[in-house]
Amino acid sequence: MSDTRILRVAGLHAFIGQFYVLHGVDVEVQNHEIMVLLGRNGAGKTTTLRCVMGLVRAHEGIVELAGENIKGLPPHEIANKKLTLVPEDQGIFSVLTVAENLQVAMRPSRAKKEDRRRLDFAMSLFPDLKQAWNRKAGTLSGGQKQMLALARALINENKLMMLDEPSKGLAPVVVKGLVPVMKELRTYASVLLVEQNLSFASKVGDAFSIISDGKTVQSGKMNDLIEAPETQRLYLGVHMGGGESAQIWTSSSS
Amino acid sequence: MRRRAYLPGPAPAALILLAGILMALPLFTSSRSTFTMVNMITTSAVFALSYNLLVGYTGILSLGHALFFGSSAYIVGIMMRHVGTSLWILFMAVLISMVFAVLAGLFVGYLTLRLKTIYYAMVTLAVAELLVILAEKSRSLTGGLDGLNYRVPEFFQNAVVVYYLVLIYAIVALFLVRRFLDSPTGKVLVSIRENEQRASSLGFDVFRYKLISSVAAGLLASLTGVVFAIDNRFVMTSALAVDRTLEALFITIIGGVGTLPGPFIGAAVYHLAADWLSSLAKVHAIFERWPILFGGLYIVITLTMPGGIVSAYYRLRLRRPRG
Amino acid sequence: MDVVIILTINGLATGLLLFMMAAGLSVIFGLMGIMNFAHGAFFMLGSYASTWTYLKTGNFALAMLAGTAVGTFIGFLTERSILRPVYGKPLAQILITLGAFIVLNEMVKAVWGPNVIPSPVPPLLEGEFRVGGVLVSRYRIFIIFFGVSTAATVQWLLNRTRLGMIVRAGVENAEMIQILGVNIRRVFAAVFLLGTALASLGGTMIGPTLGQIGPFVSTQYLLLGFIVVVIGGLGSLIGSLVAGVLVGLMNNYVVWLYPPAAMPLNIILMSLILLVKPTGLFGKEGAH
Repeated sequence: MSDTRILRVAGLHAFIGQFYVLHGVDVEVQNHEIMVLLGRNGAGKTTTLRCVMGLVRAHEGIVELAGENIKGLPPHEIANKKLTLVPEDQGIFSVLTVAENLQVAMRPSRAKKEDRRRLDFAMSLFPDLKQAWNRKAGTLSGGQKQMLALARALINENKLMMLDEPSKGLAPVVVKGLVPVMKELRTYASVLLVEQNLSFASKVGDAFSIISDGKTVQSGKMNDLIEAPETQRLYLGVHMGGGESAQIWTSSSS
Repeated sequence: MRRRAYLPGPAPAALILLAGILMALPLFTSSRSTFTMVNMITTSAVFALSYNLLVGYTGILSLGHALFFGSSAYIVGIMMRHVGTSLWILFMAVLISMVFAVLAGLFVGYLTLRLKTIYYAMVTLAVAELLVILAEKSRSLTGGLDGLNYRVPEFFQNAVVVYYLVLIYAIVALFLVRRFLDSPTGKVLVSIRENEQRASSLGFDVFRYKLISSVAAGLLASLTGVVFAIDNRFVMTSALAVDRTLEALFITIIGGVGTLPGPFIGAAVYHLAADWLSSLAKVHAIFERWPILFGGLYIVITLTMPGGIVSAYYRLRLRRPRG
Repeated sequence: MDVVIILTINGLATGLLLFMMAAGLSVIFGLMGIMNFAHGAFFMLGSYASTWTYLKTGNFALAMLAGTAVGTFIGFLTERSILRPVYGKPLAQILITLGAFIVLNEMVKAVWGPNVIPSPVPPLLEGEFRVGGVLVSRYRIFIIFFGVSTAATVQWLLNRTRLGMIVRAGVENAEMIQILGVNIRRVFAAVFLLGTALASLGGTMIGPTLGQIGPFVSTQYLLLGFIVVVIGGLGSLIGSLVAGVLVGLMNNYVVWLYPPAAMPLNIILMSLILLVKPTGLFGKEGAH
């Protein structure tokens, strides 16, 4: 069983300053699976990702990447173990060009040919970016920035990609176009996705895990969640069947 | 990690004992130099206390705090020298200093609105430098680089009287600051230091409180400058200089940022050590550059005991886990 | 008119030295969030080491090399020993660099004494050139050439090397660059070293323009450095260049007209710029 787990997080506790944000998060991501982290605003989803990435200190718990412990390591070391994160604000360097954004992300590899190949591959997924090659990334549109962020994450070989709300701020038609891209990502790496957009999440996710108030409350196969509107309502404040883009509400409705 | 507005000081009994000893000092000695030393420590401590209010409690790093201290010292000196030495004139000087302090405090406080931490530090540094240059150039008024000496009212020509003035001033100041910090306003200041965004999101007008803090700290520094001027009977540009602010910063760090006894302990350590080291320098030339030791000590303390002597004392005494 | 040309040349020279002082300060702050109060000390170390070497050997090139080497080395030690433990803690950083400033100042006084020492212009660079009918100082022209080449080199480093790319990215978002696998501490160390080297290099050339050097160099140029950095914008190399030249020129003109107004005017200019554009001429909005 543990052979197929690319990420194992168990009993994760974490503080941010004096705030006790995570008190018991459990997440597992299987190989070549898209796992979606769901939950209300402020539940601790982003913090969980940041904790795995080493940006937030894990106070207690287990964090293993492909069976290897990564808890307590500095972010760049974790990155070099083939884990990457695309933060909520995408982390695009607006002062650098599109090309430079990709170059700076490339982990040095043995052969230049290898680099070139990966670059071309990333570009093939997002042809739009080719046109903006030498433009400063700050001039890109929201959708293009998201493309660039994803391309950057793909440029290296990664075991796991963590994406924080990739659909945020994008026009619905762009989000629709994102669905097949996400599904394709699965062939290259496993994905841990944080999402507020429940219908988007349900379309791309294989499995789900719900975090409520810093604790994991339920997980399982995505299909199970789709069939259980009471669960959706209970933990997410909304249920699907309420329109194409059912968003998880931030108000606490019990 | 919960924090109170200030770490509790040594038991009141110990404090009263200390105050008693200091009060009774003139009965045991009439050594001018002892009085001078104690006065220097005390005024330094209260100035550092006022600085602590700004840095330690509100989290505003100003490098120009000496402007309050020095300007009121100069105001007193100038009035005594050029206008007259009666008690009334002294009183006028105090009033003028206070008015100036409030105005300057408002100005400096306003700057916190426009400038972020680093910029604020540098502008306050620059403003203080500006005043130093002003003092240097106005020779006729301030004595320029040579400094200004003057006589004080008859009442204060007695060393013992001045000693008690300084001591009582310090006690009153400490008492008032404590009351201030315990007040709702004071508590808000601490919360601003801890987490400005949170305080702001809780509905507090952060700027208003920073303004209050700047004015309060400025007033206290200003009054301390007056007391200093009465004691010293001589004022120089060093009263306005960055060095003086840095001295307060050091004392605060050594003693303990954000604590009440901190500035006093720090001042005592600083001045006694400085005195001892410079006397050593007369014997062994190797000690001539003793400020190096201070710089070094200061670095060591910042690295190992971020809370200064006071917090180290608490960690030892209560054997608390690091926090 | 002649006077104006001479003042302009001198102002440019001073301005470029200020740039060298400020550039390191600016980038160190932009990337690491550290306001390096000790920077003035490195500038001073460069001037002292170079002057001393020149007085001993008569070889100015060697002196410049020595000055830069000493300053950079001490910078390396400083970063390694006391700066590393306080990365990410802004207040502690300020305090530590202040402490380092004091210690370094005292060390210089301990080694070379608290008095000024003469700093002569090397014979090769002495004298004047005739430029369009005006006599301008050879040494100043040398500084201008050297300064401009240095600025160009730094620009190249920033825009055409991987390190430069990482620095530019890091100034904007240091966290993201770590996520992308960059060991930010190594980058910090490199930047600190380069900044310090630049400052010491600038310091090696200041002596002969002043005629003498003393402990006042560190404080005076630190303050000027701050002013330049603030006016130019923290984290911006171009800002340091423009602001440096601006301040250098203004200083020279004002000193000619009414010396006491020089420093106050700098401060007033800085305050004006801050009130109008709090992040400086080329600074990034919302940075730090």
